[in-house]
Amino acid sequence: MASRARVLMTVVALAATALIAVSCGGDDDDGGSGGKAKLTFWHGQTEMWADCLATQIAEFNRTHKNIEVSSDTGGVVADRMLQKVTAGLQAGNYPDVAYVFGSDLANFAKSDKLVDLTDSDKIDIDAFYPAGRDAATVDGRVRAVPALIDNLAIVYNRKLFKEAGVDFPNDDWTWDDFRATAKQLTDDARGIVGTGWPGTGDEDTTWRIWPLVWQLGGDILSEDGDTVGFDGASGEGALSYVRDLSADGSVYIDTSAGSERMNQLFQSNKMAMIATGPWNLPDFVDAKVDYGVALLPAFQGEHTTIAGPDVWAIFDNGENRAKAAEEFVGWLTSAEQNLTCATQAGSLPTREDVTKLDGYQDYVNSLPGLTKFVDNLQNAQVRPTIAEYPQISQAMGKAIGLMLFQKAEPADALQDAVDKSNAALRVPGP
Amino acid sequence: MSSEAAAAPPRPLAKRILGETPSAWVFVAPAAVIIVGLAIVPIGWSLVLSFRASDLLSPGHSVGFANYDALLDDPDLRSAVGHTLVFTGLFVPLSIVFGLLLAIALNRPIRLIGFYRTAILLPFIASTAVQGVLFSYIFDERFGVANAVLDKLGIARQGFLGDPDQALLVIVLIALWGGVGFSVIIYLAALQDVPRDLVDAARVDGAKRLGVLRHVVLPQLMPVTVFLVIWQTLLSLQLFDLVYATTRGGPLDSTVVVVYYVYKQAFVLFNAGYAAAVAYVVAAFLIALACLQILYRRLSARHA
Amino acid sequence: MRERALPFSPWHLLLAPAAILFALPFAWMVLSSFMSNAQINHFPPTIIPDSLHVVGWDHVLRRATFPSWFVNSMIVASVTVVSNLVFCSLAGYAFARLRFRGSSLLFALIIATLIIPFQLTMIPTFIVMERLNLVDTLAALIIPGLVTPLGVFLMRQFFVSLPREVEEAARIDGCSRLGVLLHVAIPLARPALATLAALTFLISWNDLLWPVIAINSDETFTLPLGLTTFQGQHTQDWAAVMAGNVITAVPVVVAFLLAQRTFIESLTSSAVKG
Repeated sequence: MASRARVLMTVVALAATALIAVSCGGDDDDGGSGGKAKLTFWHGQTEMWADCLATQIAEFNRTHKNIEVSSDTGGVVADRMLQKVTAGLQAGNYPDVAYVFGSDLANFAKSDKLVDLTDSDKIDIDAFYPAGRDAATVDGRVRAVPALIDNLAIVYNRKLFKEAGVDFPNDDWTWDDFRATAKQLTDDARGIVGTGWPGTGDEDTTWRIWPLVWQLGGDILSEDGDTVGFDGASGEGALSYVRDLSADGSVYIDTSAGSERMNQLFQSNKMAMIATGPWNLPDFVDAKVDYGVALLPAFQGEHTTIAGPDVWAIFDNGENRAKAAEEFVGWLTSAEQNLTCATQAGSLPTREDVTKLDGYQDYVNSLPGLTKFVDNLQNAQVRPTIAEYPQISQAMGKAIGLMLFQKAEPADALQDAVDKSNAALRVPGP
Repeated sequence: MSSEAAAAPPRPLAKRILGETPSAWVFVAPAAVIIVGLAIVPIGWSLVLSFRASDLLSPGHSVGFANYDALLDDPDLRSAVGHTLVFTGLFVPLSIVFGLLLAIALNRPIRLIGFYRTAILLPFIASTAVQGVLFSYIFDERFGVANAVLDKLGIARQGFLGDPDQALLVIVLIALWGGVGFSVIIYLAALQDVPRDLVDAARVDGAKRLGVLRHVVLPQLMPVTVFLVIWQTLLSLQLFDLVYATTRGGPLDSTVVVVYYVYKQAFVLFNAGYAAAVAYVVAAFLIALACLQILYRRLSARHA
Repeated sequence: MRERALPFSPWHLLLAPAAILFALPFAWMVLSSFMSNAQINHFPPTIIPDSLHVVGWDHVLRRATFPSWFVNSMIVASVTVVSNLVFCSLAGYAFARLRFRGSSLLFALIIATLIIPFQLTMIPTFIVMERLNLVDTLAALIIPGLVTPLGVFLMRQFFVSLPREVEEAARIDGCSRLGVLLHVAIPLARPALATLAALTFLISWNDLLWPVIAINSDETFTLPLGLTTFQGQHTQDWAAVMAGNVITAVPVVVAFLLAQRTFIESLTSSAVKG
């Protein structure tokens, strides 16, 4: 009898706990019509940028009494944003504003819950740099607002260069120069490597090759957009270059998740040159690396580089909240606000009028080499905002991997990548 | 005995007709309701999804069996299945053999046994994210401890997680490091359950240590071993976190296992419908295997 | 011939290296939590902190919502453990000892639910939680974990292995099925229950992906989820992450040490057998 009572008590206790846990749940923010609009903002950031965003949110709430942006970040970092927002959209419980990777936007745009901002009076897309503008536009419609702009340049370790007696790169250097320099600076005995390239096969592996393709006259998509534009000399040239670089033994193939090993090597003075964006500069300063910044090399002409903008996406939770979200994002991406958190975000200014602001010079001087990245924006092109880009990225990533590990001929690897990409482009899609 | 049985009161009619069933269902109900109840929606949802072309963001449309057709020709899927089989084929036997070995070693009343027992269980506790970080350091090609040790031993440096031909094997090693602890726990408990008198009787009959092990202990451990094989196999087939934390399926897709492939299709390539079809085919295959195994056991029991 | 603790047993030759192998990465994690970020990021990695940096610990413990992360994880894990102990034992016993129609089918079904990958099931499960209005609550974390198929499997396996005589004796004495379970089987099942408890605690405590999907607010975070806020896309606060992981590991270590006690008990309680 006593034991039965014990069992019953346990069950009751469990049920009670469950009930309590249930009732201590989250609020049901409705932001009803006419009342204060309550917005959820999943910025996906952590550390410095997150802290800066928190002060921005507080400031916005203070100055806009009819809107309240929640300080809860949604418990999701940018890496998991796609999964969480997808789950949210499926269930009907999704945020108002979210940080979306540029390469994911075209697929989000297929959802009718992603607000179309083309005719919005709160958002002037033309104020943003072309790279950002293009990344936020899908099929000619503006579907998001640029949040972060970067581009790739070569950051080099001056100490290692001096030790090896090699001249610093200049603004005219070529890919041949780069290859020779990497080889010269590779010193197996001291564990020093010339440069690095991510080897996981995902977008971080792929996006670095597009500048070479562009410089060789190719493109990701052909003119009509129905097939790829890198079949032929441009693709083969780019892949061959990677293969040659690897064959020289001067490339560290970073297979770690998130490619942080490359950064760690550079910060530890074990890698002479790294193709990276401005987001890494604060870490390099922290680690006291004596670095310089150079434009990407060129083949013969332009030093074309790639920009990988990320965006703020607004989702439709009813007209009241959508309008409020537009106002918030418009404020957040204004020139003044852009400058406020630019350092913490590790981002370049997303719009030209930021460069006219008072604090701009201080920002530029806060990080050595930052001006180079800003100037580099004029050389930057972006990936096309098409839904099939991820498939193209995977296919090309595989080809690059084969080059890095020297497991195939450039022509064969290219053919494979072209076939797979074209197949993906042919599929009508959902 | 029989007199007592005769003296027992006659069982109620309901009980006589339905047998144990009512009380049994009460016992099983909570588990059944929660597990199966919660699983029905996802299973149904995934099944419907597998017949559609969908990215989970737009409505999508029905494509009948097109996804299932496509996966028959998918070389990447075949590789993923291959990698999963390799992983399972290595991990399961090794985790059991090493688990047993360690359990036997830990079953001794020697000094420091408490410390050893704790130490061996520690990896089991580390989350896979932490394991990923730790081991990508240890196995780093240039600066990892593993290669440093090989250097000292005069063996050539290996690529480990950076080598397409070795990465999967290294993942097996990491999984073993983290997963052998469970086999140890189970075997340790089972070893302590081996009836003392059987062991003593064998000793008295003159059997040496190894003989006792082979002829007395191991047979006693058979049911537990079968259990562990099934358990570790079920876990191996679900491998995902470790791959995500270390190699993200690379290098050159050499560590893409089935669950990782499903994730990639759904959340990197926006082919959720296809991902669902893959998951179902794998599931159907496993269920078929299990049914065959049950059938085989029933048949061999009948002939025994 | 009794075995006594030998001054040097050859088994040490196997166990000592194994113990070091197993404990070293863990020790490195603890040591790293006392390093500065610059030192952690340095490559090749070093094991000994150059000085006692508590910046990692500071960052983690200073976080306003950190205590609630810990409490939330505790609540979810504890409820999950208790409910699994109760329901897995009930179900496991039924599958092992009671004959009822549909038993094999149901058991197979329960195990089969493990086969569909979580990456796919998490979205429909999230939809269910949304319909129940439980998103962003601890209940959303607790409910899917109330009973795990692996737990049912474990308990069934254990109960099958028990010798039937004691139970049968109790049945003949007029004990009900539940009585047999409670008074006979469960006391014998302590090692299995301890294992189940430790295992369930571990799974619940370390779960990350489902809390990411199901929880939105800072105060409702669990520990692993909260720790992700120290890792960014391009920068990570490794010292804080390591400190956080050490904190996360402590309750699990305690849980396992407690579970281990039970094995040692059963070693001495041979009166239970035979």
